[in-house]
Amino acid sequence: MAQPLVKKDDDRDDEMDYSPFMGIEKGAVLQEARVFNDPQLDARRCSQVITKLLYLLNQGEAFTKVEATEVFFSVTKLFQSKDIGLRRMVYLIIKELSPSADEVIIVTSSLMKDMNSRTDMYRANAIRVLCRITDGTLLTQIERYLKQAIVDKNPVVASAALVSGIHLLQTNPEIVKRWSNEVQEAVQSRAALVQFHALALLHQIRQNDRLAVSKLVTSLTKGSVRSPLAQCLLIRYTSQVIRESGISQTGDRPFYDYLESCLRHKAEMVIFEAARAITELNGVTTRELTPAITVLQLFLSSSKPVLRFAAVRTLNKVAMTHPMAVTNCNIDMESLISDQNRSIATLAITTLLKTGNESSVDRLMKQITNFMSDIADEFKIVVVEAIRSLCLKFPLKYRSLMNFLSNILREEGGFEYKKAIVDSIVILIRDIPDAKEGGLLHLCEFIEDCEFTYLSTQILHFLGNEGPKTSDPSKYIRYIYNRVILENATVRASAVSTLAKFGALVDSLKPRIFVLLKRCLFDSDDEVRDRATLYLNTLGGDGAVVETDEEVKEFLFGSLGVPLTNLETSLKNYEPSDEPFDIHSVPKEVKSQPLAEKKAPGKKPTGLAAPPVAPTSTVDAYERLLSSIPEFAGYGKLFKSSAPVELTEAETEYAVNVVKHIFDSHVVFQYNCTNTIPEQLLENVSVIVDASEAEEFAEVDPSTGEAEEDGVEDEYQLEDLEVVSADYMLKVGVSNFRNAWESLGADCEKIDEYGLGPMESLTEAVNAVISLLGMQPCEGTEVVPSNSRSHTCLLSGVYIGNLKVLVRLSFGVGGPKEVAMKLAVRSEDISVSDAIHEIVASG
Amino acid sequence: MGLWEALLNWLRSLFFQQEMELSLIGLQNAGKTSLVNVIATGGYSEDMIPTVGFNMRKVTKGNVTIKLWDLGGQPRFRSMWERYCRAVSAIVYVVDAADHDNVSISRSEIHDLLSKPSLSGIPLLVLGNKIDKPGALSKQALTDQMDLKSITDREVCCYMISCKNSTNIDSVIDWLVKHSKSKS
Repeated sequence: MAQPLVKKDDDRDDEMDYSPFMGIEKGAVLQEARVFNDPQLDARRCSQVITKLLYLLNQGEAFTKVEATEVFFSVTKLFQSKDIGLRRMVYLIIKELSPSADEVIIVTSSLMKDMNSRTDMYRANAIRVLCRITDGTLLTQIERYLKQAIVDKNPVVASAALVSGIHLLQTNPEIVKRWSNEVQEAVQSRAALVQFHALALLHQIRQNDRLAVSKLVTSLTKGSVRSPLAQCLLIRYTSQVIRESGISQTGDRPFYDYLESCLRHKAEMVIFEAARAITELNGVTTRELTPAITVLQLFLSSSKPVLRFAAVRTLNKVAMTHPMAVTNCNIDMESLISDQNRSIATLAITTLLKTGNESSVDRLMKQITNFMSDIADEFKIVVVEAIRSLCLKFPLKYRSLMNFLSNILREEGGFEYKKAIVDSIVILIRDIPDAKEGGLLHLCEFIEDCEFTYLSTQILHFLGNEGPKTSDPSKYIRYIYNRVILENATVRASAVSTLAKFGALVDSLKPRIFVLLKRCLFDSDDEVRDRATLYLNTLGGDGAVVETDEEVKEFLFGSLGVPLTNLETSLKNYEPSDEPFDIHSVPKEVKSQPLAEKKAPGKKPTGLAAPPVAPTSTVDAYERLLSSIPEFAGYGKLFKSSAPVELTEAETEYAVNVVKHIFDSHVVFQYNCTNTIPEQLLENVSVIVDASEAEEFAEVDPSTGEAEEDGVEDEYQLEDLEVVSADYMLKVGVSNFRNAWESLGADCEKIDEYGLGPMESLTEAVNAVISLLGMQPCEGTEVVPSNSRSHTCLLSGVYIGNLKVLVRLSFGVGGPKEVAMKLAVRSEDISVSDAIHEIVASG
Repeated sequence: MGLWEALLNWLRSLFFQQEMELSLIGLQNAGKTSLVNVIATGGYSEDMIPTVGFNMRKVTKGNVTIKLWDLGGQPRFRSMWERYCRAVSAIVYVVDAADHDNVSISRSEIHDLLSKPSLSGIPLLVLGNKIDKPGALSKQALTDQMDLKSITDREVCCYMISCKNSTNIDSVIDWLVKHSKSKS
């Protein structure tokens, strides 16, 4: 009994050692502050009380206006003391209390006296406090002293004045700008701190003048900056100038030599700053990158954790854009996986995952498994995401990666972490067909012991969609039915729906599903019972092995045909009455429809929560809109809807844009006419389209009906609209271009060469062809490394008629900016390959 | 022998050292900071800048150390006077005797201040400054116009001085020294 008590006391003692301020109370300290008013001051005691007050302020303790005023005025009495330590505390507390302007002015005279005193400490601190509390009019009075202080030979005083200048620049820029000469002199100071602060202030003064900043950098990079801190600042300003100036005519990057020379500086922080600046250059080339990577590699084996962290963090970023450049450091990074600092280890691992090649995956996975249990959830999520992208990169390795994911899925973890894992598995299942069955089983095992209702229901839904399409759907039934027995009502209800999906889609399982669903009729929750009843009655066949009616499937699992948000509002507005709710009364348009189509589908894989919804939501919306119009209903499935094309100038009375909807054998134009004048009402708007010479001319004839019905007829000419070949092409990416290319075979391959004429750069040529064809660039090949003379770009897409098309473009620069291109097309139909060539030839 | 004398003096001052605290207030441009300078160093300067806030000076006269709180006289500081007058040995109120227009403001300010309960019983010394100027009020006129007779709850004294010519400064210091209290 005694032992724990003693131990407790020990603990308390330890804490006392940590903070001498444990448990001090504001009320008591305010009482103590009365010593400030004693006629005989005890400087030591006063300093202690101020320390306590500062502690309270920094702990976020709020002082009332009265309390703060009282303390402030008692503190001002301490100016009578000559004790240097106490005076320093007085300065601090005045800054921290920051009383109202009409009160704080009382110390102005005393501070001005201190500012001109012989004690350097007084001068420096008085300047800082005075500049904090001063206003514009007073500033002009003390400006003279501040200018002197900037060039003071004592570095502490000069720094104080410079830092105050940085603060004052926000409020009184015109006054501070007058100090340029003094600041410039201070930049040449021998004191490191002064140089650093002076450079910062000088840059701030000039920051809005690009030319002046450039001049500043040019003059200083010649080597008058000695302070490492100032050198770091200069590197930052230099990279800013580089960003803004671009590459010169000769192809050399301005100031690169300076950055490179900084890599040989003796201060580590300068070396690191320069290395990071180089890695962050726009379109950095491998040649430029190499020296920076080399110094970072040295840092990786440094004994200082902060250097290791900085280096591995920078390399991690580089690995996203230039994975090849980082591979040299792989050996060093592998040793960092066992680093004591978990942040370093995590970054090392994720970098390695980005740069590693197929053969090293297994080894890496083994190492990760060892350290996963030691790191926090947010780091684990980073690792999971890295593994997901690795798996997409090396689809053949899915087995070990999937195993790893399922292993960590079984371990302890928070919701976000588990969700990241589940999302990753779902994405892998979707993108790698071979991984499907294994992945689904992992998910099934997970829901056997899953504490998160959200994840369980999402996985059940996903199982319902994917499970029936597998070779042996029956093996999932046990897992799903276990949910009905073991879980809470929400999960039970979604399990019932999933069961029904299996029943509807797999006819051989139907009788068994019926038995299970019938048991659900006795569930304690009404939602579960309702669902079971609904499915039992609609699936039909009464438990026999029969095919489920298409209509029933559509009714049960098809989409509602109306946006869910609209349905929700309609249901909320519905007042219970004799009239039943009519789903046809729900508006079908998507409100506040994001007209700009989201580009690059599949680029950012979304997980369970939003399966393919994000990229196709507008298409879905268009499809529903069009199918709701009887004239268009028979055109079949919508192939593609273009992004809106503006047909009017931006500032017209009404804006018109057009969306091109491509069907298999029809083209539908959707004209969106937006009234921009609130006083005006548009009525009877019609668009007259004149198709000639295979081009579409469009006119509009809206009559403008004012409220008094004396409407004016008006006619507006709209701009021409063209249906281009890209409209017939869907951007669909492939994860492994090489495999896809091989699988399409050479039967329908067509190769030809084209001269593209003069182009500014290869990037321009590549972008032009991509937008002409409207295809999806693969494997990041749309990015052209700067200064390269040739480039290969891989594109994939689906041509109208659902024909897969792959394109391999080889660009080369010949002669003065003449770009030549070799175009190789493979597709499922030779006529499509021809069509692509025609597009390029005519474009 | 001189050394012995100095040591004795120092010892004596250690035991008989007296200390007092004063607040120096009054309207702006009454000559408060000039008075401090005259008392402390004996020097006088024509061009002074207004005191923004307060000046704290310590002056030693004989064996008395005087702490002087020289407060700014502009309207924005007047509300803060009271904080620096609490628990002082005496309040010194300086009036510009040659500025007839502002004497009435001066009067109301001092009467307002003295009505504060925290300052009850603290002796008041009113100094009519700038008597070197032509047209300066006489002592009697100043006493009447400042309505000093109505102040009965404390010791009140009035001197007419000139910082510029150091007129009557000695009497002021004598008065102050008399009102100092023993240190221990």
